[in-house]
Amino acid sequence: MVENRVVVADVTSFQIYFLNNANSSKTKQRTLRMTKISVTLLFLITSVFAFAQVKDTTGVFKKRVLESSEVDFLSSYYNQDGTHAAVSGGLGTEKLSDFASNIVVAVPLNDDDVLTFDVGLSAYTSASSSNVNPFMNSTKSYSTSSGASGQVTTTTVNTSPPVGTPWQASSGASKGGTLYALNANYAHSSDNRNFIWNADMSLSKEFNYGSFGFGGGVTKLFNDKNSEISLKTNIYLDNWKIIYPTELKEYNLYGNDFQLYSYFSGVAIMDQNGNTTAAYLPSTFKPWTSTKRDSYSASASFSQVLTKKTQFSIFMDVLQQQGMLSTPYQRVYFADKPNYYIGKAQYIPNYQSPTNTGVFQLADDIERMPNTRLKVPIGLRWNYYISENIALRTYYRYYWDDWGITSHTASIELPVKISERFTVYPMYRYYIQTAAKYFAPFEKHLSTEQYYTSDYDLSAFNAKQYGFGVNYTDIFANGKFFGMGIKNVDFRFNHYVRSDGLNANIGTLGFHFTTD
Amino acid sequence: MKKVALLALVFVVLQSCNTVKPYEMQKINDPEMKLSARTTEKFESTFQVYREGAAGANGGKSGGGCGCN
Repeated sequence: MVENRVVVADVTSFQIYFLNNANSSKTKQRTLRMTKISVTLLFLITSVFAFAQVKDTTGVFKKRVLESSEVDFLSSYYNQDGTHAAVSGGLGTEKLSDFASNIVVAVPLNDDDVLTFDVGLSAYTSASSSNVNPFMNSTKSYSTSSGASGQVTTTTVNTSPPVGTPWQASSGASKGGTLYALNANYAHSSDNRNFIWNADMSLSKEFNYGSFGFGGGVTKLFNDKNSEISLKTNIYLDNWKIIYPTELKEYNLYGNDFQLYSYFSGVAIMDQNGNTTAAYLPSTFKPWTSTKRDSYSASASFSQVLTKKTQFSIFMDVLQQQGMLSTPYQRVYFADKPNYYIGKAQYIPNYQSPTNTGVFQLADDIERMPNTRLKVPIGLRWNYYISENIALRTYYRYYWDDWGITSHTASIELPVKISERFTVYPMYRYYIQTAAKYFAPFEKHLSTEQYYTSDYDLSAFNAKQYGFGVNYTDIFANGKFFGMGIKNVDFRFNHYVRSDGLNANIGTLGFHFTTD
Repeated sequence: MKKVALLALVFVVLQSCNTVKPYEMQKINDPEMKLSARTTEKFESTFQVYREGAAGANGGKSGGGCGCN
């Protein structure tokens, strides 16, 4: 028990240490702090490991950690709509739909070790990201044959000027995409099952983003399994494939003469009054020279059984990110720069209204954010067993980061057993955040600012999410599906409303199988 | 904040004196009492990471691995 108390005290001082230092914004201080965090974590992990080694020497009856292989099939459908698309500088359609599927397979390698694979696939279509290139042409193709060989040449010409609008999806190449993800986790439990260590590795790839991650952690149970401490650390080494808004991509390729070449050759650019002009020059735009984004996280959690019917846990993460933390295809429009458009002049006065179906404003720059960010979320779960048929599940999180966002999240869930196998659970979640100090709405930023974004995900808002779930559990897994026993089926549906007008729906279906 | 942390620690230590024995954990071991998010919450957490500035402290990721906030 002496060792246990030392560990608890260390974790608390570890948490206080972070809180005391959370307000600093100097990079050097941050680096020093992360070094101290790493040393503290290493000490904690070593302490817990050493303690576990001593306790593990007793010969006790061992129950397999996992009796047989288990498989989870998860599928979800998500859709959203809103009026503050970040790709078009904080206004425009945010219509998006996503279908995602995951298969999780846990395999017992022996009595003590479990290997888990999580393979995921997610396919989406997005109106706002299609507007990375919002300009659509009416085109006509014709073929000609020439020479003695009769070689056929196909030529495509524009038959009308390009037209776009932030309020509709375009046929741009980035209108959809697929995300592939793989996560592997290896966990080893000690003979007395009071100590677990794990190592994990992850890979993910989507059309403009790739990620490689790895990490590990330790968990120690003590006090007759009434108490549990977990420590873990993860590193993600990510890489952007740079995609700029079309007008800035062309400017980046051809420099000051870009209106004479390629996509903009012969295309009329208009000023605020609808007059053709050659004055558009997004000179504030500078291309990114590095595409890397690295994330280092350290997490600690403590769980405690309080009574026969109550238990809680506290979670704390510290995440340091560095590199390209901006999204390179999100436009920004400056209040102190003239406006330029492509499309039909009659829609310019109604540009900010969904009635604009024919004109798109050319970007002044892309989002620019600092290249470091420190995040510190602290969460608390508290569950109470009210009666044989009703339980109460609650969660609260406080979040702080050095970009100026603080937030509170609270959620409550009330599972009610309506029969031996069926449980229904209504749920409600409330979220509120302050704005990042670099956020301003459409055309409110000034070109003299160092950092800027019009991404409403970083604005001040509150959000409400409510819905229900239905759960079927058969602990004996009598039902069979392709030879596997169906142990659990869970369906949940939630509606999400954000105070800036964004709303979303998400439905998820999960099957949990066991093999004999 | 230090006071809150200290109070929380005292509270935990006091409660730890009252150990719940393994044979008394039937209610605590009910699947609905798990101190973690449900497996099917995975996709909700993912969209929240994209649509909100905050993330983490729920046993999952707090950042990295995606082109999100």
